[in-house]
Amino acid sequence: MDTDTQDTWKPTLAPEALAERPLPIRFTGSGSEYFRIWIVNLLLSIVTLSLYRPWAKVRRLRYFYANTLVDGHALDFHGNPWKMLRGYLLVGALLVCYSLAGHFSKGAAVVAVVIFAVVFPALLRASMQFRLANTSWRGLRFRFSGSLGGAYRAMLPLFVPTLLFAILGMEMTDPLHPPAWYFKAIGLVFLLAVVLAPLVWWNFKRYQHDHYGLGQWQTKLTIGPGSMYGLTFKVIGVMLLSGIAVFALAMIVGVVAAVVIGAGAGFDKEAFMRNRGMMTVVFGLLGLAFYFFALIVPVPYAMSRSQNLIWRNTRCDEARFDSKLRFGALTGLTVRNWLLMVLTLGLYFPFAAVSFYRMRVESVTPQLSGDIDRLQAQAAAAGDASGDAAGDFFGIDIGL
Amino acid sequence: MTDSRFSLPTEVAAEYFDGRSARAHAVRLRVAGDRLLIEGDGVQRGEPLASLRWPERTRHGARLMHLPDGASLHCRDSLEWDTWSAAAAGRRDAVVVRVQQRWKWVLASMLVLVGTIILAYDHLLPLAARGVVALLPASADEALGEAALSSIDAAGITKPTTLPPAQQQAVREAWARAVSRLPAGEVPTYRLEFRQSTIGPNAFALPGGPMVLTDELYRLVDGNGDILVGVLGHELGHLRHRHGMRMLVQASVLGAAAAALYGDFSTLFAQIPVVLGQASYSRGFEHEADVDSVRLMKANGISPAVMATFFVKVRQPRPGAKAPSSPGLQLPIALASHPADADRIRFFEDAARER
Repeated sequence: MDTDTQDTWKPTLAPEALAERPLPIRFTGSGSEYFRIWIVNLLLSIVTLSLYRPWAKVRRLRYFYANTLVDGHALDFHGNPWKMLRGYLLVGALLVCYSLAGHFSKGAAVVAVVIFAVVFPALLRASMQFRLANTSWRGLRFRFSGSLGGAYRAMLPLFVPTLLFAILGMEMTDPLHPPAWYFKAIGLVFLLAVVLAPLVWWNFKRYQHDHYGLGQWQTKLTIGPGSMYGLTFKVIGVMLLSGIAVFALAMIVGVVAAVVIGAGAGFDKEAFMRNRGMMTVVFGLLGLAFYFFALIVPVPYAMSRSQNLIWRNTRCDEARFDSKLRFGALTGLTVRNWLLMVLTLGLYFPFAAVSFYRMRVESVTPQLSGDIDRLQAQAAAAGDASGDAAGDFFGIDIGL
Repeated sequence: MTDSRFSLPTEVAAEYFDGRSARAHAVRLRVAGDRLLIEGDGVQRGEPLASLRWPERTRHGARLMHLPDGASLHCRDSLEWDTWSAAAAGRRDAVVVRVQQRWKWVLASMLVLVGTIILAYDHLLPLAARGVVALLPASADEALGEAALSSIDAAGITKPTTLPPAQQQAVREAWARAVSRLPAGEVPTYRLEFRQSTIGPNAFALPGGPMVLTDELYRLVDGNGDILVGVLGHELGHLRHRHGMRMLVQASVLGAAAAALYGDFSTLFAQIPVVLGQASYSRGFEHEADVDSVRLMKANGISPAVMATFFVKVRQPRPGAKAPSSPGLQLPIALASHPADADRIRFFEDAARER
């Protein structure tokens, strides 16, 4: 497509004005089939001391993609497992060095954090490049066009608090009697990290969502850091509320348990003390429940609200995105998945992964206001496969 | 296309994408000789069958085939595609795909998987950890042990000893005499350290040599030389077998394996096998150290039965002492965290009977 036609599309940045067509996303995969793929992948990975993982990953991605129908057309994965193996080994070696460094000395740990901070943005960028360049829809490859400099600007702020904590820990000569300035400095770093976290996170999401592309489309994140602060306040509010609710519940159950056990012992102090074992069990279970319930509401809340906020405000000239990930439904699914995972000793994992993926991916609907047939491939460089392995290792994925 | 119920299909309908434009071309595919012919909607091309990347068979999902020049073929009717590719192109599933598609084989894989995990956990991982540790220089142990000791001191778990220097000297000399009766070359590098502790009577060994005896333990046994030889002999056993390093290597490998299995779902969940695994490996190490302890006691003409009475003593609640629960997590090789169960007492009693 030449620049003229692109210019004619430029002024139509308000897609509401055009007749929009939704491109519904459907996921047709099944938990039982993924279970079979997963078991065989797992066996081969363990028998080969994990060298098979790239092949397992290609098979998993191709299964998920072939079942992800966007407007009736499946996604496709083109990654080459041999290239991915190289990246996997490289990142594995890096990670082993990183995790061992902390055992030997504080200085080595600081050096490791620094090296990690220097390498990580480049790896994550390469990972996004690789993943998108090897994903296609209707025969066209996606692309990630974020620059290396952009990756550092987006991600280095994420490491600053960790680095400051590590340096402060090194500066302290007598840990038994920390000087007064130490606590002040820790408090200051912590406060600064909390206050700046939404800004830093927005900065990172902007780097991602400003650089996704397909054909001549190029996405852009249209919100400023203000919305991220709004979301953060809401998430903190939900965390506080659920914390208070769980605490109140724990108090009530604790008092009831104490009364019941006390009554059973006829309010005899000796017998009450003998029942301490039972009390320990009760309070242990309460603590576990506290932990789960304190997280089980805020995590899906933050996940659903941030996905909706970010995707609803991601758009390109001829498309925008609707995201309707419902907080209640996601919470229900999370609770169910967790329970079944625990009850089946982890065997439910593939079913959980499928249902979770389905809910997240089907909640997004691209809205098209252009002509899909005019979408043309642009020249793009394929990323390095080691980046993809890094993205996998550290559990940071691109969300869709 | 002919009715596939009565005759094998020679053609299948698909969508063709050229890789440069998002436009879909409705095409029909058929095989002529060793070439795939793609025809329809302005497309007319033939590709050698060997140059194609065929999709694998799954119950759900579209079939997507890659052509060498970046073009691709999409077929939403996977059943039609599979019948056609088997009949017309003679496609056969790879072994892995066949296993994945049959519950019978999947269940067999599960059994093999469980067997492999048990074998790896019981034998291969400890063996591999020994191998890795054998490759590591002793200086690695020393660096690790010194770092651990200074962090234990720094965390306030231990404080400078309050034992009079004369008593310290007596313990050192008695210990040196006891160790000298072991065969030469079987005594690892060690350095006896005295500390006052906040975790009650205890003794522990750290990689590379530091062996810490707490004042509280010394007082609990009233400086009984026989028991001290038994306790320190146990710690010397940890040093000789480099248990600290082996534990570290095993925990790292176990953590990586658990993360590979479940890590993408939850890091918390992935920690469970690591914690459980460490506890079980730690029991194995304790037994190895007990064997060394018995050997040292016998070399010195001490009855291992003194250790059985020591275990009873160390378990008795002491006035003003805290419950001995937390230190086990911080010091996996500390004596107080050992399971002072009937098994260990019986081991020392049996050893005493065997003379």
